[in-house]
Amino acid sequence: MSVVTEVSPDKKKLTIAVKGRFDFGRHQEFRESYERLDKKPESIVVDLKEAAYLDSSALGMLLLLRDHAGGDESDIRVVNSSSDVKKILAISNFDKLFDIS
Amino acid sequence: MTDPHVDRDVLDTLREVMEDGYPELLETFLADSESRLHELQDSTSAKVLSDVAHSFKGSASNMGAVRLAGLCQDLESNAKDKSPEALAQLDADIHAEFAEVRPVYESEKHHAHIH
Amino acid sequence: MQAQEPLTILIAEDSAADRLLLSTIVRRQGHQVLTAGNGAEAVHTFKEQQPDLVLMDALMPVMDGFEAARQIKALAGDALVPIIFLTSLSESEALARCLEAGGDDFLAKPYNQVILAAKIKAMDRLRRLQATVLQQRDLIARHHDYLLNEQRVAKAVFDKVAHSGCLSAPNIRYLQSPYALFNGDLLLAAYTPAGDMHVMLGDFTGHGLPAAVGAMPLAEVFYGMTAKGYGLTETLREMNAKLKRILPVDMFCCATLLCLSFQSRSVEVWNGGMPDGYLHRMASGERVPLPARHLPLGILSAQAFDDRTDVYPMAVDDRVFLLSDGVIDTCDANDQLFGVERLQQVFAANREPDRLFEDIEQALRDFRGQARDDVSMVEVSLVESAQAHGAAPVYSDSGQSCPLDWSASFEFRGATLRRFNPLPFLLQLLLEVHGLRPQSGALYSVIAELYSNALEHGVLGLDSRLKRDATGFARYYEMRAARLESLQDGYVRVHLQVQPQGEGGRLIIRVEDSGEGFDVARVMERPLVNVRLSGRGISLIRQLGRNASWSDQGRSASVEFFWEIEA
Repeated sequence: MSVVTEVSPDKKKLTIAVKGRFDFGRHQEFRESYERLDKKPESIVVDLKEAAYLDSSALGMLLLLRDHAGGDESDIRVVNSSSDVKKILAISNFDKLFDIS
Repeated sequence: MTDPHVDRDVLDTLREVMEDGYPELLETFLADSESRLHELQDSTSAKVLSDVAHSFKGSASNMGAVRLAGLCQDLESNAKDKSPEALAQLDADIHAEFAEVRPVYESEKHHAHIH
Repeated sequence: MQAQEPLTILIAEDSAADRLLLSTIVRRQGHQVLTAGNGAEAVHTFKEQQPDLVLMDALMPVMDGFEAARQIKALAGDALVPIIFLTSLSESEALARCLEAGGDDFLAKPYNQVILAAKIKAMDRLRRLQATVLQQRDLIARHHDYLLNEQRVAKAVFDKVAHSGCLSAPNIRYLQSPYALFNGDLLLAAYTPAGDMHVMLGDFTGHGLPAAVGAMPLAEVFYGMTAKGYGLTETLREMNAKLKRILPVDMFCCATLLCLSFQSRSVEVWNGGMPDGYLHRMASGERVPLPARHLPLGILSAQAFDDRTDVYPMAVDDRVFLLSDGVIDTCDANDQLFGVERLQQVFAANREPDRLFEDIEQALRDFRGQARDDVSMVEVSLVESAQAHGAAPVYSDSGQSCPLDWSASFEFRGATLRRFNPLPFLLQLLLEVHGLRPQSGALYSVIAELYSNALEHGVLGLDSRLKRDATGFARYYEMRAARLESLQDGYVRVHLQVQPQGEGGRLIIRVEDSGEGFDVARVMERPLVNVRLSGRGISLIRQLGRNASWSDQGRSASVEFFWEIEA
């Protein structure tokens, strides 16, 4: 599985780890990782430590996640981005929408 | 008490498969065989002998005539190698074997009509 | 176990007894039986009846089983008609012949019913599988044809929309693959009524029709608003709002927009999510990067959208170069990216500016081993303003009645000045007067200049002398943004008066501002030439309009236009 999720015991925090290529092939899995929860988490962490590559469909998926989590009210952090991934996120100015580290 | 000439199990299966068609099958086999025997006698070419023997072998094995099938296999494989005398002998053996099993099939036909 | 579907089975066997036996067995298994006594009969019956499966004796008179099998396979074409050879052949050479002839399986004599049933079942499964594959292949081929046709239509529609612009202007050079649209790339260019040029290089997420579909409304907004005289800012807001409204959440459009002003020798830039553009200054050889400072279009709501642009001075022959990410993302055999560094190397090595595209394409070819067909690049040069000209706008009314004797006054105050650009509206109003239409370019330039002076130098109190060098230029626009953002009081008044005169008419424009004014006499002393970075464009107003005058210590400017009705 290239998308691995983990929910904190109090169900308030959801961590989604994407491994390998974060591209259109991950679409279904990524959506399911947050749509199927019985309780909406208060904060979400997207862990890209093992994500080698990010394309525009991945950016689209992040937007969908943000929309699902409440848009401007959402609390989403994108962590452990490699320098390549950080560059892509920087060019698209996604640091204006997500907390990126 | 297995019969070395005709495998009775095969006959049982045939009877069961063919049902009312059993007598016709037996009749067809006997007629076919007669004509094949004539062909064997008349022909001299090793190829023709081999082909006829092949064909006869097929039917014979289907009908459970195991020893007849074996003799035909011999003729089929060795037609080109055997001497005219050996061929004549084999031909005679085949005729004899058929004469041996013929009554069995006739009897089957007879019994089938009665049942 | 699934019940076997009844098949039509052809039995080709020369031995009558064997044929009879086999037919009965097969019929008992629920199938329909056809028989043939030799190879030729078998082929003939196959042609006539199209059985699903064939049981073929190998050695038969007239035509043997091998030849019959070959002919039957040829007749079957793409469809699979399984052929099971009936044989007591044991030699491997004979078996090989069966396979070569197209046989799919063997059944030995004496016939075993159980084995026969199993083989028929297995062969039938393969037969149905093949039939499904062919069906799906045909379905896919049909769908593919539909898709290709839809794309052709979409492309034709889009080409009409895209080519209402000025990409063929002499100062624009571009490279775009024929199917760029379907890679999501969009390249648009259009003249404003004042003779400035708006250029947009965009990159939609996704490919194919979804990307193309978003491009069309965007292009319409771009061309419509540019033609009416709206600036980049308003156009960007409208494009963003439109895309936000019509596109799904995960779709957006990265874009770089430029407004090249030949008259004021500057370029205004907005980059949302695209790779760095480059402003190439010919005199120094410097390439100023134009990085993405914004999110792509279609993501942020109208309230959150950031329409701030950056303005850079340009000299004649300076160029702005934009490219899509197809260049940077080109990979070689080892999945290494071409990257920005290599691009910089190409820039550094480039000796002839006019050959920049060729140099880049060559570098890509060398890197990748082959050319790419989805790369978009555009290069826009600043030319002398006399050389740049737009096409005459097309009017849709009949030209019969128009207002010839009227006046209107407007006062734009405080907060309105921050957000509202009245110029397109004022221009539309004036273009109701048909006699003014041939001069729409000059008209727009003059009103824009008057308004901009009133707002920037009058109300905001900015000193145009700040714009004499590049640093001052940047500072000027920073201050402009800051002061505008915090503006509370102040006004700009626009008075328009149209009167008939002789065979034609006369338009008087007066613009007043609430600012400090300026030393009119001193500025008037300057020679009548095109002033470069600084200056109030006063010479422009005096050149394009008639009877330009300033009063109330420079706070009020007036200029006139005349027209004659052609006989």
